[in-house]
Amino acid sequence: MPNNIHNENEKLLKIFAGIRCLNKDQLPRYLEGRLTDVEKHLVEQHLVDCDLCAEALLALQQEGLMEQYPSLSTGIQQYIRDSIKPVSQVHKMEHYARKVKQRESMLIYFWLAAFILGGGALLFGISQYSGHKPAAARTAVQVVSASVASPAPAPAVVPADSTQLQSSHKPATLAATNPATPAPVIPAVKKDTVKAAPAVKKPVVDSAAKKPPVAAPKPPDSSKKVADKPKENTAVAAKPTAKDTPAAQIVKSKEKENDKKDDNDNKPKTGANTAPATSGKVDTDEYLYKAAMVYQQHGDLDEAISRYKHLSGTSNSRVSEMARYQMAVCYRSKGQMGKAKRMFKEVVRMDGTMKQAAQQALDNM
Amino acid sequence: MYQQLSNLSDRELISRARKLKDREAEGVLLERYSHLMVAVCLPYLKKNPGTGAQTVFPQLLQRLSNGLKVQSIQKANEWVHQTIKTYFAQPEKQVPYYPSRESRDRLHTENRVEKAANNTIEKQALIAQVKTAIAKLGNDDRYLMEQFYLENKTFADLAAQKGTTVDKIRNQLKKAKSRLATQLTN
Repeated sequence: MPNNIHNENEKLLKIFAGIRCLNKDQLPRYLEGRLTDVEKHLVEQHLVDCDLCAEALLALQQEGLMEQYPSLSTGIQQYIRDSIKPVSQVHKMEHYARKVKQRESMLIYFWLAAFILGGGALLFGISQYSGHKPAAARTAVQVVSASVASPAPAPAVVPADSTQLQSSHKPATLAATNPATPAPVIPAVKKDTVKAAPAVKKPVVDSAAKKPPVAAPKPPDSSKKVADKPKENTAVAAKPTAKDTPAAQIVKSKEKENDKKDDNDNKPKTGANTAPATSGKVDTDEYLYKAAMVYQQHGDLDEAISRYKHLSGTSNSRVSEMARYQMAVCYRSKGQMGKAKRMFKEVVRMDGTMKQAAQQALDNM
Repeated sequence: MYQQLSNLSDRELISRARKLKDREAEGVLLERYSHLMVAVCLPYLKKNPGTGAQTVFPQLLQRLSNGLKVQSIQKANEWVHQTIKTYFAQPEKQVPYYPSRESRDRLHTENRVEKAANNTIEKQALIAQVKTAIAKLGNDDRYLMEQFYLENKTFADLAAQKGTTVDKIRNQLKKAKSRLATQLTN
């Protein structure tokens, strides 16, 4: 019973089932009554609302028309195939040609894009390379300027000494350009500077350790000459800068005189080009001072202070004064105000060119 | 390719012919209805012996091909039938195909039935609606509908019962179905 209801419901929906038109085979068979019951019912269901099929069946039931139907039907089908096929072939060819064209254009775009990218990359690389090269050159210039010329922060720190520093430019530059002269401060990079700094230190340390002067790599003229003289007391010479006793100063002055003589003896013909021994000593102090300043600029205050300490005992009063001043600045930077004040007071007491600056710094503290 | 296209429905072939400009799809569609076209045209050709099949059919096919590109076609058989009718009524004028109200209602209901095929709830609701709509039909129409669709009687059987022609029975069923579709749509 429920099955019957279910079937009835399904049959109700088949009222609106979409059924295709009669095909070439079904049309004559329906007319001849050669369809099965199910097939016939389906055809009639379709015929209910298909005027085309119903009219076609009515037409074919008329006398004399059924004979014409098969030949005309075959003819029209052939006509459709003949008219569609070449057009379809042409269409396909056009489609293929368009596809090929598209592929080619895509390929062109690809190569164009690749070329542009490659060119861009090349330009970028060149710009990077060229940008890098001058940068290196620039750093080299900075090295020289930082080590030889007055450094950027120096004028602020040592405003009064700027003229002196300016005056020291010439020999420093000469020293940098002259291979014979010592080059302790040429490298501006910290690493190099650190390397160079021991080279400067060495004469002092070496002589203290009584090492042969060969070990000292290109020391300043005076230290070289001192090392060359075996008869001279190296122990006395070893003490030089750290503890400036009067005796040591005398010895030093003697050495200087000897150095002068040696210089005159050794380089009599090149005398025009070489600096005198005294100025060489001054240069050495200035180099040491500038090397210390490089440390200070790089933030290595402890190392800078230790170097300034060495320089503060030097015979060159100007360098000594500046070293004390810079030491005071270093202490101030480190926050050791007591030491800084003491140093500034010492500078004031020295009554040199830095007195005013030191006094000002003291006032500001 | 031809075999694959011949398995497609009318709607898919029309879509291919219009959107992809697929001439093969167009050819398959026209070929599908060509034998019916010939059968429908035969009486007109017989009435007008001056017009040959060699001129009528190419013109008719060209008209159908043009209409396929520009017209909105919901049911291909109706479109072909109307084109043939208008061709013989006004050979010089191209009248665009426009489906009738009854045709649109039928199509709408057919789509609903097709959509509800996999949805039991919707199917049950639709069956209930159809039952209600049939109950609202006249006695004669309801009897014919029940006999034809539920009892699977043929046109010939019903014509014999009623003492009328098969064509009259078909027309009566068609009208009853249209009324049913209109009721279901509204």
